[in-house]
Amino acid sequence: MRRDSIQRRLIATVVLSQAILTVGLMVTGVLVTYWRLLATLDAAMQAHAMSVAVLVRYTEDSTGNVYFDNSLLPESIDPNHPDQFTVWADRTGLLARSEDWPDGLPLRPGPNQHWNFTWAGVPYHALRISHVPILDREEDKAYGPQTLTIVYASPTFRTGQQVKAAGAFIALVSLLLLGATAWLASWGIRRGLLPLQALAQQAAGVSAQSWQLQPPKEAEEIEELRPLTEAMTQMLGRLERSFVQQREFLGNAAHELKTPVAVLKSTLQSLLQRPRSSEEYRAGLQASMQDLDRLEQLLQWMLRLARAEQRAQDARRELELLDLNSTCEEAVERIRSLAQSHNISIHLAIDGPVPFRADPDDLQLVWTNLLENAVRYSPEGAPVEVAVAHDDQSTRVIFQDYGTGISAGDLPHIFERFYRGDPSRTRATGGSGLGLAIAKALVEAYGGSITAESAPGEGTRMTVEFPAMKPVANLP
Amino acid sequence: MRVLMVEDETRLAENVARSLRESAGYAVDMAADGQEGLFLAESNAYDLVLLDLMLPKMDGMELLRRIRQSGRHTPVLVITARDDKESVVALLNAGADDYLTKPFDLGELLARTKALIRRGKGQPSPVVVIGDLELNTVNRTVQRGGRAITLTAMEYRVLEYLAHRPRAVVSKAELLEHLYDYNWEKFSNVIEVYISGLRRKLNDGASRQLIRTLRGQGYMLQD
Repeated sequence: MRRDSIQRRLIATVVLSQAILTVGLMVTGVLVTYWRLLATLDAAMQAHAMSVAVLVRYTEDSTGNVYFDNSLLPESIDPNHPDQFTVWADRTGLLARSEDWPDGLPLRPGPNQHWNFTWAGVPYHALRISHVPILDREEDKAYGPQTLTIVYASPTFRTGQQVKAAGAFIALVSLLLLGATAWLASWGIRRGLLPLQALAQQAAGVSAQSWQLQPPKEAEEIEELRPLTEAMTQMLGRLERSFVQQREFLGNAAHELKTPVAVLKSTLQSLLQRPRSSEEYRAGLQASMQDLDRLEQLLQWMLRLARAEQRAQDARRELELLDLNSTCEEAVERIRSLAQSHNISIHLAIDGPVPFRADPDDLQLVWTNLLENAVRYSPEGAPVEVAVAHDDQSTRVIFQDYGTGISAGDLPHIFERFYRGDPSRTRATGGSGLGLAIAKALVEAYGGSITAESAPGEGTRMTVEFPAMKPVANLP
Repeated sequence: MRVLMVEDETRLAENVARSLRESAGYAVDMAADGQEGLFLAESNAYDLVLLDLMLPKMDGMELLRRIRQSGRHTPVLVITARDDKESVVALLNAGADDYLTKPFDLGELLARTKALIRRGKGQPSPVVVIGDLELNTVNRTVQRGGRAITLTAMEYRVLEYLAHRPRAVVSKAELLEHLYDYNWEKFSNVIEVYISGLRRKLNDGASRQLIRTLRGQGYMLQD
């Protein structure tokens, strides 16, 4: 494929428009020159026709007849090519014609006619003037005046040559100008596009290690490049954030996986260190299975988080219209057995249905994660309260526990992946450090927000807030 | 030798302890959190501390600092999941002698443990030579004058400890403390049995006595 070039296109556009302009100017110039020369010729011919008219005299015999005095014929307009003429008087008839006057030349009717014709290879411009008064005034005679009709034709060789010369001159000048324009345009455009090259050079320096794009000064000064540099800077910012996030996640995940892998590895290695009894092997294999289960669970949580974060970006996912309250009820039912084993009661405060458009699995995951969290950190016998409140602006789901609470230092970080305030806490309670991060990613996927308030020793309140849905008539 | 393992991941701690007991013949005490670890480290004489960094109650770094502040020379081998330069530098600067990153190889852990204990006792070579006695700490074999000597596990442990402190007087209490885990007191009268067994096996056909008894003070290994 041939590579296109803005530079070539711009130069071509400039040169082409210049060429069109030049042709237009040439045509106009030639036409104007032609018309002006023709007008000059017309004026000359008119003057010559009048000089012919003054040669018509009345005869002395009082008959009112006229004759042509050809002793004072005017010179030809073009000295190299003789003019032609013919003169009629309205009563006397044909008075005179030039020696070479072509026979049968069509004389156009009507007054003051101009036309062109070619005769014997010579192009002529002809002029016909009627009702020319006879200037030799002796009309006080009884017969009344006669008027003349004069046809005067002049060869247009010279006019043609002049037009051609003018045309050639205009063409020459235009071509020179065209060349100059093309050169200037290519120089100017090349120079004008330099900032783009500088920008490209800067952009080439961007990598996963160095995300900073410092737009070169010359590019920043150019208005047309500003949207591009701004878009690039913003895009790089977004890419960097997501890249750093991915890298962090990978680092965290690897870190989290190291401990269960270390356990598994040490179990198997110590099993292999010396010959063992079959009971020892069995015990070792069972222990390894437990280690593997833990690994598997951790991986599942990681996958869930990755999926949750992906959903946030998937605009085409299918949502159904559901009742937010009933999803809460279902989640509470799911957690109830875990809660009962810790002697914890869950109170759910809801009223009429709250319409919401979502994937029910997503909401389930959010509610169960938050409920599990609340139950885990509650002391034996303490209640967990869930309330759904909604108005025109928003829908809020509140999870309140009266458990250990979260210290002020940990509170801003609890939604971070793998964050653990006290490393022993999650191990003792079996969490993965990912539940809250998953809940946050899912809630944000629906344009909502999740916040936590806590006082150590008094409990924690998690609030999920979604913007209210537009009114819907019927709920399934 | 007696090792303290501070690790909250019980299964990992158990596996490491089993390996140290079986393959190196060490006595191993275990602590599941930082506070317990500090208490044990301060109240017993250990030849090595194996320390995890992420610990409940007191993190490993803090525990390490406290051990060093109290002026103990016990070598500390840190087990960590982080292997970036900064955290390794911070570890070593806080007084750790060596580190292992998770997941680690038990064989490597054993080798590093042995090397650290050796160096902690000023013994650079894995083969300890005292006169014509040769003690190989890698495969736990003993030779005297080119003749292999078969020892019981406990006899070897006693000899190994003495060999790491040659020409020094080692009390019975010290021996007990370093050869048994926390309930060592009930073994107090067995040391004589091992010493006499050792003497018999080492002196088989040789003229010179290697283990001397200093009455009321303890034992000394010399050529």
